Amino acid sequence: MKFSFTDDQRLFAEGLRDLLANECPASLVREVWENGTGHSPELWSHLSGMGVLSIMAPESDGGMGGSFVDAILLFQELGRAAVPGPVLEHMAVAVPAIASTTFGAPLIAGDSIATLWVDDSPYVAHAAVADVIVRKDHVLESFDATDAHGMDGGRRLFTVAGGERTNANANVGGLDPFDAMALASAAYLIGLSERMIEIAAEYARVREQFGKPIGSFQAVKHLMSDALLKVEFAKAPTYRAAFSASTGADTTTRDISMAKALASEAAYRTSRSTMQVHGGIGYTWEADLQLWMKKAWALMRSYGDANFHRRRVSGFVLA
Amino acid sequence: MDLRETADEIAFRLEARTWLEANVPSEPLPSFDTAEGFALHRQWEKKLYDGRWSAVSWPEQYGGRGADYIKWLIFEEEYYRAGAPGRVNQNGIFLLGPTIMEVGTDAQKEKFLPTMASSEIVWGQAWSEPNAGSDLAGIKSKAMRDGDDWILNGQKIWASRAVWADWCFGIFRTDPEAERHRGLTFILCPLNLPGITVRPIAQLDGDTGFAEIFFDDVRVPVENTLGEVDKGWGVAMATAGFERGVSLRSPARFSEAVNRLVQLWNRLGDKSDTALADAVTDVWMQAEGYRLHTYQTVTGMLEGRPIGAEASLNKIFWSEMDVRIHEIALQIIGPEAERMEGPLERWVDGFLFSLSGPIYAGTNEIQRNIIADRVLQLPKGM
Ligand SMILES: Cc1cc2nc3c(=O)[nH]c(=O)nc-3n(C[C@H](O)[C@H](O)[C@H](O)COP(=O)(O)OP(=O)(O)OC[C@H]3O[C@@H](n4cnc5c(N)ncnc54)[C@H](O)[C@@H]3O)c2cc1C
Repeated sequence: MKFSFTDDQRLFAEGLRDLLANECPASLVREVWENGTGHSPELWSHLSGMGVLSIMAPESDGGMGGSFVDAILLFQELGRAAVPGPVLEHMAVAVPAIASTTFGAPLIAGDSIATLWVDDSPYVAHAAVADVIVRKDHVLESFDATDAHGMDGGRRLFTVAGGERTNANANVGGLDPFDAMALASAAYLIGLSERMIEIAAEYARVREQFGKPIGSFQAVKHLMSDALLKVEFAKAPTYRAAFSASTGADTTTRDISMAKALASEAAYRTSRSTMQVHGGIGYTWEADLQLWMKKAWALMRSYGDANFHRRRVSGFVLA
Repeated sequence: MDLRETADEIAFRLEARTWLEANVPSEPLPSFDTAEGFALHRQWEKKLYDGRWSAVSWPEQYGGRGADYIKWLIFEEEYYRAGAPGRVNQNGIFLLGPTIMEVGTDAQKEKFLPTMASSEIVWGQAWSEPNAGSDLAGIKSKAMRDGDDWILNGQKIWASRAVWADWCFGIFRTDPEAERHRGLTFILCPLNLPGITVRPIAQLDGDTGFAEIFFDDVRVPVENTLGEVDKGWGVAMATAGFERGVSLRSPARFSEAVNRLVQLWNRLGDKSDTALADAVTDVWMQAEGYRLHTYQTVTGMLEGRPIGAEASLNKIFWSEMDVRIHEIALQIIGPEAERMEGPLERWVDGFLFSLSGPIYAGTNEIQRNIIADRVLQLPKGM
């Protein structure tokens, strides 16, 4: 029993954190919100260049053959930076699921962009910037996308009609695309939450009222500590779910649901607390916090919300 | 990462399971907060010690097995699975013992560890005072040097199991001039010395689970000092970190409790009450999350990443979870939840005890302050 990441896994995640600090500052996230694309081609090519997008491509298809355990810290780092665009859909589903089809090579190279349409939603995130849409049993190209006005400008939402259909069975090492995305978004939500806490802590150190930094007030301290508690205790379940998924454990579905339920709740709690710590500025378009909060509110409801996943865990645990 | 047990770990688990199945008393022992129960728990500890199961993570020379923390967690899982008795010498084996191993002299290790492992000596923790609880550095009990002895005076309170314990480990003010956190010394003291009065205090359940200890010119040799004179705060905090972090409440305790809760739900729960079903699943996930988190922490410790102020997160997590588990159980059992004796009394008893979790070992408010200050680096409040 060894519950830790290898040095390589940690170093890769740190490298990604460094890359994103330079290439994906809040100003870039805001820019793609405001230019209406929800995607940055430059950032995409950096991620592709570093091998992030193709980490889960099978070795037989020229990829790194990474497992969910190899990728999970990367999903988390992407969340910390609120990276816009269909990164998770591309990395966690499209690349590993359809790598060996004719769509594979350009996806692995990052030249073609994929997003995902799950059965439980009428909407497709990122459709306007995607070349292909992966569905459970087929792939769509040349479709029409109509803006559905999603709340998160880094994850634009569309309805999709028409398109050319190619049959393909999109499963990720036996995992349904929905579950693969639930797992990837759990880690991403944790990263978002970590960063929201940092942003609020930075603010609480400098904003003064009553002649003192607001972070010295106990009500503020306790709001923040409670948010951190939820986030920290969502991590191990998420990493365990990655291990289960990587090894095809019998408990994989249960474990993914547990991770997604906990991460969704942690992210929501964190968004509430960190917004509260900001006071009035937290309710503005101008404050960067919203870039993280809205992503959290979008992802916590996608690929099964906390209630859905809790009920799924119940199915395994009760009776 | 490999969350599967190694062959060696599986063998260890089976060895523990086999021994426990053969030795755990078939009937639960009376509460260790009664005279009779205390004596029976001490006997049980001796049996554990003879099987070398009382302190599995200690070095062999002191009665342990030199097991790593992962194996310790495995042992704990088997221990709770077997329904074995509560650990009457918890404060010694899991708190003081590791501290002695870290800062004690060789002579102290030889003298105190084996009798602790066997529970020939049961230990109480004498830190809190009537006016120094959360503000522990405000303690007033004094130790004054007289030749080769300390002379102890003052009053301690809330010392768990001190009613029947043999020795206590306390912190005393040795330099009244120094700043509050300096000038404190960690001293080990028998509880049967002249000048000591132990006054039992009945807890919420009516049993005398803790006590006040009065020191009136009590003489102990200076060899009983643990760590350096005037550096007792640091010694005490090392102990407390370990307590909050891992050792005080191992995950197995809660895994076992939620398994019982799920059985209770399956047997008695109103299945149309989906909110309550959700609540059961929630605490099941919490217990599982705590288990996973602990395995991760412990792997980190084995790989040289010691636990720091994050230990305070654990303390809040397990204590609030324990309250929640019992609240839900009482909701399920309905009218039986009003009875202190009856077929479901364990849940009612457990509920009362769970309420002390957010208070002892540093209140949860204090833990939140620690997290805010040391982990989140927020500015100091007071
Ligand atoms: C079952 C049980 C067993 C115990 N066993 C032992 C033992 O074996 N040995 C031992 O030495 N002690 C023991 N204790 C004592 C325990 O550690 C103290 O009760 C605890 O530290 C709180 O101190 P207090 O009771 O003086 O409460 P106080 O410190 O007076 O606290 C009262 C309330 O004020 C809050 N408060 C205080 N200061 C702050 C602050 N700065 N910020 C926010 N809130 C604050 C507290 O959180 C609490 O809610 C035990 C207690 C219990 C309940």
